[in-house]
Amino acid sequence: MPDNWSYVFAAYGLAAVGLLAYWRHLRGRAKSLAGRDPRSRA
Amino acid sequence: MAVRALGWLAALALAAGVATAFGYAPREAVQGNVQRIMYLHVPAVLTAYLAFGLVFLGSVGYLLTRRPGWDRLALAAAEPGVIFTGITIASGSIWGKPTWGTWWTWDARLTSTAVLFLVYVGYLLLRGMIDEPDRRARVAAVVGILGTANIPIVHFSVKWWRALHQPATILGPEPSPIAAPIAVTLLVNWLAFTLLLLYLVAKRTEIARLEDLHAG
Amino acid sequence: MSAYMRRAWIVVWKDMLSERRSKESLNALVFFSILLLFVFQFALGPERARVETALPGLLWLGFILAGLLAFGRTFLVERENDCWEGLVLSPGDKSAIYLGKLAGNVLLMAVVEAVLLLLFTVFFGLDFTGVLPALCLVLALGTLGLAAVGTLFGAITAQLRARELLFPVLLLPAVVPILLGSVSATQSVILGQPLAVAAAWLKLLAAADLVYLVVGVLTFEFVLEG
Repeated sequence: MPDNWSYVFAAYGLAAVGLLAYWRHLRGRAKSLAGRDPRSRA
Repeated sequence: MAVRALGWLAALALAAGVATAFGYAPREAVQGNVQRIMYLHVPAVLTAYLAFGLVFLGSVGYLLTRRPGWDRLALAAAEPGVIFTGITIASGSIWGKPTWGTWWTWDARLTSTAVLFLVYVGYLLLRGMIDEPDRRARVAAVVGILGTANIPIVHFSVKWWRALHQPATILGPEPSPIAAPIAVTLLVNWLAFTLLLLYLVAKRTEIARLEDLHAG
Repeated sequence: MSAYMRRAWIVVWKDMLSERRSKESLNALVFFSILLLFVFQFALGPERARVETALPGLLWLGFILAGLLAFGRTFLVERENDCWEGLVLSPGDKSAIYLGKLAGNVLLMAVVEAVLLLLFTVFFGLDFTGVLPALCLVLALGTLGLAAVGTLFGAITAQLRARELLFPVLLLPAVVPILLGSVSATQSVILGQPLAVAAAWLKLLAAADLVYLVVGVLTFEFVLEG
């Protein structure tokens, strides 16, 4: 069977994008919360 | 902080996982390199199950103790759980296209995972619709408990249903027999995903705790 | 009768009584079943063979759609008449209310299913007489599972603004095993296969029913607070 690298990269790429997006979303929320309350640490 | 360290550890493990998946694991004889998707697909589904186990833990914990920390755990585990489930489905589908010629097959794992996805998306939707913290936690806990209790039932029902309609295919994302380098690569990736899950749950729990503090 | 069973029975009796007087749920559901029959026929086209092959699935599709309507309304009466607090404040084990409501739902579905079965016999020229006992067993197990989850989720969504949207969204994924098991078992029974063939599915349905009932009984009191 041919190698279909494009599929492999598509799968890994999608996973990476999804996880990265979620992580950045979390980071954004954490930062905005830390900004609001100077006592809490990030 | 501990969460930060966990994050770095997870990142390191993920790098190792990708390295082994592409560098160390051999090219599979029958399917070719497309089989490498398995090193994403299998750890993802295992991690999703772990996440939903944590949702169950948090749900039971809240109903028994009424401590908000348990509810935060349930929420914090459900979100990445849904993401890992989505990754499982997407990677399974992408693997299926060149291998079976179609984007979707109603094979047992894909179907079970899709049902799991629907259950926990519903869980998150429900949470989003209730503003009152105590009712939200209680009601979500009940749905979470039923959802997790249902997992083995869904698994078996889909498996038997599948067996009715098509003979078991030899060609699956998992190779057989499992050679040592493949097993090692699977293990490394599974560990990496587990660390990533724990990191995401810890971070999400922290955010939820801060939000509760601000709200209360 | 123990106090617990008596409380459950009172809930069933009250609901049956109010239903017998108004007949609103039953009439609408029966009429809905008739409409479904037409929808199925139009969706599948005039060839009889297509309908016959799809029969077990159509049957359960009908039951589930009717169930969505029926179970979603489980606590409608209490909610609309400001009786929700009455449920919340009732003494003793709240799971008695769950069982009472569950029994009421099962009875309601039994009537709807009997009607739908009869309609299928008439409109599609089918004959279930030989397999009726086995078919009833499958129907009973499947309906029990649907009602167990439906009653619990009905209580959960009763207080929500978006209940019409959220109730199906929550219920349908949860009852996938019931759907798979019931359709497969019904198929086997209708084909005249001995019950042993469907035995595995029946055991799955029974196990699922047990799990759903246990979860329902154990968690209902948490749903009913406030």
